[in-house]
Amino acid sequence: MKRKLLSPVLVLAALGVTFSAQAHDPKEHMKDAENPNCAAMKDMDHSKMDMNDPVMQAMMKQCMKDMHHSDGDYSMSHEDASEDGQKKASDEQHSEHQH
Amino acid sequence: MPTLTAFIRSLLIATVIGLVGAGLFIYSGLYPIGADVPHNKLSYWLLETLRERSIARAASDIQIPSNLNTSDRLLAGGADYNDMCTSCHLKPGKNESDFTIGLYPSPPNLTATADAHGHEHGSDTGSEEIAIQRQFWIIKHGIKASGMPAWGPTHSDDRIWNMVAFLQRLPSLTPDQYQILTARGNTSDSHDH
Repeated sequence: MKRKLLSPVLVLAALGVTFSAQAHDPKEHMKDAENPNCAAMKDMDHSKMDMNDPVMQAMMKQCMKDMHHSDGDYSMSHEDASEDGQKKASDEQHSEHQH
Repeated sequence: MPTLTAFIRSLLIATVIGLVGAGLFIYSGLYPIGADVPHNKLSYWLLETLRERSIARAASDIQIPSNLNTSDRLLAGGADYNDMCTSCHLKPGKNESDFTIGLYPSPPNLTATADAHGHEHGSDTGSEEIAIQRQFWIIKHGIKASGMPAWGPTHSDDRIWNMVAFLQRLPSLTPDQYQILTARGNTSDSHDH
């Protein structure tokens, strides 16, 4: 009887060790995930923005959906835009973000 | 020759007395081990030197990816940093937390440059490459008895490199830039129409 019980206990213990060793999945954080506050980009000093800077490119990617809702708000570097196939051309780099 | 023999004998006796004394001190429990009492200078120097020399040796062969400075790495590494590291290593606009106050040694504020918070980051040699190798190694392997866990067993090297990439830019980020880069949500909060 004891041996019969032992196997499932060992299996459960092994599974516990296996699961605890798995990487935390980014999806675990999605429940409480913040959304990017893209409105803050309006207040940034656009004259200091370098569209070839990976930080700027990353922010553009995060706010891509937001930018597509506005006309002429931001422009992206050609490099980054082609990367996503979502180039948004704009002559003015920082007009007011209006909807 | 008797002089040399006497010298060796004295040396052995002194060594034994020293070891017995150290053992008695350890077992006496007199050393304050609480995190709210700083190490004395000797203990601090010994532990820090041990740590720094060990990391420098172990990290020296690490190959740094050539594509470290990309937006994709910043986004992936930023989100992980925000989830896993901010409670100890802070984020722009935050100067302290319960962990930075209570942990000893206090975790470095990674939103500050290495010079600003007095932590070497390999900069004692002035090499950015060494600092990057060091960061990768520490994230992957952790540091014993410091509160820094080893993320290697549960995270791929590529994922750790993403965090290292983010750390290179973190000191220059504003709170707004940090929020945008680290947000995992895929809809913007800016739609107020």
